[in-house]
Amino acid sequence: EQIRWKMPIAFPSDLPGLGTPSKFVEKRLKQISGGQTQVRVFEPGKLVPPFDILQAVDSGKVSAGYTWIGYDQGKIPAIPLFAATPFGLKPWAFTAWYYYGPGHEMLQEVYANKGYNVHAQLCGIIGPETAGWYSSPIESLEDYKGMKIRFAGLGGKILEKLGASVTMMPGGELYQALQQGTIDATEFSMPAIDQNLGFNEVVKYNLFPGWHQPFTAQYMLINGDDWKAASDMQKAQIKTTCTAATMRGLAEGEYKNPKVLAGFRDKGVTQSLIPRKTLAKLQETADEVLATEAENDEDFARVYESQQKFQELYQEWERRAYLPPTLGENN
Amino acid sequence: MTDTTHDAPHGGPGDLSHHTELPTTRPSAAVDRVVQAIGHAFSWLWIVVVVAILVGVFGRYAFGMGSVLWEEIRWHISSAVWLVGLGYTLVHDAHVRVDVLHERFGLRTQAWIELLGLAVLLLPFVAVGIWESFPYFLNSYNVGETSQSPGGLPARYVLKFFLSVSFALILVAGVSRLLKCTALLFGVPRPMKRRQQ
Amino acid sequence: MLLSEIFVAGMFLTFGILLFTGFPVAWVLGGTAVIWTVVGMIAVNWFGAGLWFDWGSSLGLLPERIWGMVSNDVLVALPMFIFMGIMLDQSGVAERMMNNIVKLFGVVRGGYAITVVVIGVLLAATTGIIGAAVVLLGMLSLPVMMKNGYDKSLAVGTSCATGTLGILIPPSIMLVLMADRLATPKASVGDLFLGALFPGLLLGALYIAYILTIGVISPRKAPLPADLPKITPRVFLDVLVAVLPTVALILAVLGTIFFGIATPTEASGVGAAGATVLAAFNRRLNWEVLRQSVTQTTRTACFIFAIFVGATAFSVVLRGLGGDRVIEELLLGLPFPPVGILATILIVVFFLGFFLDWVEITLIILPLVAPVVTDLGFDLVWFTIMFAVTLQTSFLTPPVGFAIFYVKGVCPPEISVKDIYKGVVPFILLQLLGLLLVFMFPSIVTWLPSVGAV
Ligand code: NA
Ligand code: NA
Repeated sequence: EQIRWKMPIAFPSDLPGLGTPSKFVEKRLKQISGGQTQVRVFEPGKLVPPFDILQAVDSGKVSAGYTWIGYDQGKIPAIPLFAATPFGLKPWAFTAWYYYGPGHEMLQEVYANKGYNVHAQLCGIIGPETAGWYSSPIESLEDYKGMKIRFAGLGGKILEKLGASVTMMPGGELYQALQQGTIDATEFSMPAIDQNLGFNEVVKYNLFPGWHQPFTAQYMLINGDDWKAASDMQKAQIKTTCTAATMRGLAEGEYKNPKVLAGFRDKGVTQSLIPRKTLAKLQETADEVLATEAENDEDFARVYESQQKFQELYQEWERRAYLPPTLGENN
Repeated sequence: MTDTTHDAPHGGPGDLSHHTELPTTRPSAAVDRVVQAIGHAFSWLWIVVVVAILVGVFGRYAFGMGSVLWEEIRWHISSAVWLVGLGYTLVHDAHVRVDVLHERFGLRTQAWIELLGLAVLLLPFVAVGIWESFPYFLNSYNVGETSQSPGGLPARYVLKFFLSVSFALILVAGVSRLLKCTALLFGVPRPMKRRQQ
Repeated sequence: MLLSEIFVAGMFLTFGILLFTGFPVAWVLGGTAVIWTVVGMIAVNWFGAGLWFDWGSSLGLLPERIWGMVSNDVLVALPMFIFMGIMLDQSGVAERMMNNIVKLFGVVRGGYAITVVVIGVLLAATTGIIGAAVVLLGMLSLPVMMKNGYDKSLAVGTSCATGTLGILIPPSIMLVLMADRLATPKASVGDLFLGALFPGLLLGALYIAYILTIGVISPRKAPLPADLPKITPRVFLDVLVAVLPTVALILAVLGTIFFGIATPTEASGVGAAGATVLAAFNRRLNWEVLRQSVTQTTRTACFIFAIFVGATAFSVVLRGLGGDRVIEELLLGLPFPPVGILATILIVVFFLGFFLDWVEITLIILPLVAPVVTDLGFDLVWFTIMFAVTLQTSFLTPPVGFAIFYVKGVCPPEISVKDIYKGVVPFILLQLLGLLLVFMFPSIVTWLPSVGAV
């Protein structure tokens, strides 16, 4: 039985790391299966509006979809933990937890517990986003008080707790809103993607590190019945291709971001780091917010605990095993 | 075309659309009254949308309020009104037509076009809408879907229910109109006498 | 692939024919979608056609796609601008403003029409939603121009064409979507906004030039107001006082955007509130006026939203039947020199605009041709703006010009679709002239971005 799946995606397929893996999957699946297993990418909005990909896949209207599953946090509170966790794991550590820890199985359970009939396969990951674009420098958490900022997801909840006035404006309105001062700041994605939106033309302070999204993961969602109907060979083709796409997506972002970053500097963008103390306070607030989420949702609690346990263990290893990135600087 | 009966309650001086002057029928009149009343009631909510926008704008400046909530309130209400309004607009026959040829046709021809259009184009489309939108709402309701942004509205499924409401209202308004066509063409159901204007 | 081509042509044809029965546009779109879904499913299920077509991924997605419109915050601006227009109309403010401005333009034939263009350009700077601008201008200007004996076609053509400028002159959701689809720093939202400004103003200027010419060559179409006073300082002052509130309102709306107090979406609400306050000041606001205004807002907004709903069903089915691929292959298999390819792309876009709305065209074609155009060595911003002007033109082209439908919904009963068709023809020619100018002098587009953005 051949596979002919339509696959709507949530980001334009030419966005580095976020969208490109979907095209990679389309091409490679066809190649390695000799045309027996094919998915066809549909650009955002062509078939399904990005926020409804889960629902369309679940109901079988389309057999597959490719998306940032964090969009579904209104339906499944635990989902953001698989998509981007504030102060969460680094990309490669997340893949460790996902492939060798309980991550993959937990994700399937989280969907099933909410009654969704889908199979989710990690199929793309990128490194940290930036902590946003600001019209004035950020020195302490006080600076967030009264700031009008566009910030998505759990990170937005954290900033709101710090007194910021958070909006969720769509990506397309951001440039003008920043330019006119309707908002003072925005986050969007990593530099290689942010540059397309032209933020550097209107505000000059780009903040790091991206505490709210140390990793950003995309998944291929497959309708449960279609997944069951697929042969073992086809399943293996899909899994292997997605694993490769994950690696390639990460590599692409890591390759392109440094160059874009340097380019921003030449265009007069100030790239500053959030002071360590401020970061620590942000983390405290993040812990509170995440703890509240965990109280409200059983699955969230379970997944969060598992991730934290691994993160603690991993930190010890990371601290000792890896060279500090600042090595060799004169300080 | 000297028939001066009007098929639908007209909205007064602002109502500029052109009408095929169909007779009304007893069931049509009843349905139209209900859809009309719902449409009128919901129309007042535009004022609430205006207020929500003002509160969102001023709140952001005066009190440093987060605006996610107000952003969501305004599109929730605005969308509820236009979803409900689709059927109401049909009762008023205010949907745009290309009248290049239409205006030259006689009343009976227009009624035939209307009858076939309703039966072959509008009603099947609306049936699809109802068939697909109700499970869409149920899915959302079953997981208790809320806003996806922090500080947004709870119970997103309420607005999703309005998709079904919208199609249901178009359906009844469409059937009401269909009866007016059959009344003119076949005398079934019996056309109601209206006073001359 | 041949099958797809037949289906796609069949779908366009069905729509085109049914449209002229006079059944409402919105339901013709939706009904055509249903008919061709049935045809497609029969072809696949009974005859084993090799299409990737099924119910679920075509009409089955109707609720998802409608929800995409429901949850689009930007669309809130549509009813808000309509409410603003109706309020200005009901309160008599609009008519008084028009009548007064004309006193100043009095000696010039076509004064009303020129005023419409000027107001239209200002409005264009407050909204990027085409339905809103067209409807607003139509409501404000058509009754006045009719009363003053203007030629029907000239009047309706002017307000229809000027209304479409809203989608070109920033802020514009069309340009935002284009930048999003292009996804390259070579054509950011900022570049496109700056690039579109002069072409937008150029078109406005061409419209005015045309109206002035008409005033000279066929004066009957644009008569002078009968009881025109001499322009004395006294008259001038009266005009100023009469015009001030409305101009202040428009400037206030513009100001909230310009000074970053509100987003364009929010500004629409500010405008609606402002118009209501103006009505109150003129002692024209009472419950009856308010009731009329809100219910008419519903009817006007809804005939536009209904077309959106029908159009989204139409395009998802067209796409399911392979419409995208048919159009793609048509475009990419061209054996032409660079300029020929460029021209062909624009011509195809222009003709697609007869049937599809701009969102669909942008989604299908722009990402497809952008790399080709860049490879050929053309400036991407310049190309995209020409693409945008072509799309803006397609709103005006019969038989399926969405701006034509929108204005039809609000124009006085004596104006028929035929009058509108006749009225837009000269403006379509002006659009082509504008496009030609931009083509020959790319700096009309590229100069501002080159100095504006650092
Ligand atoms: Na505009
Ligand atoms: Na057109």
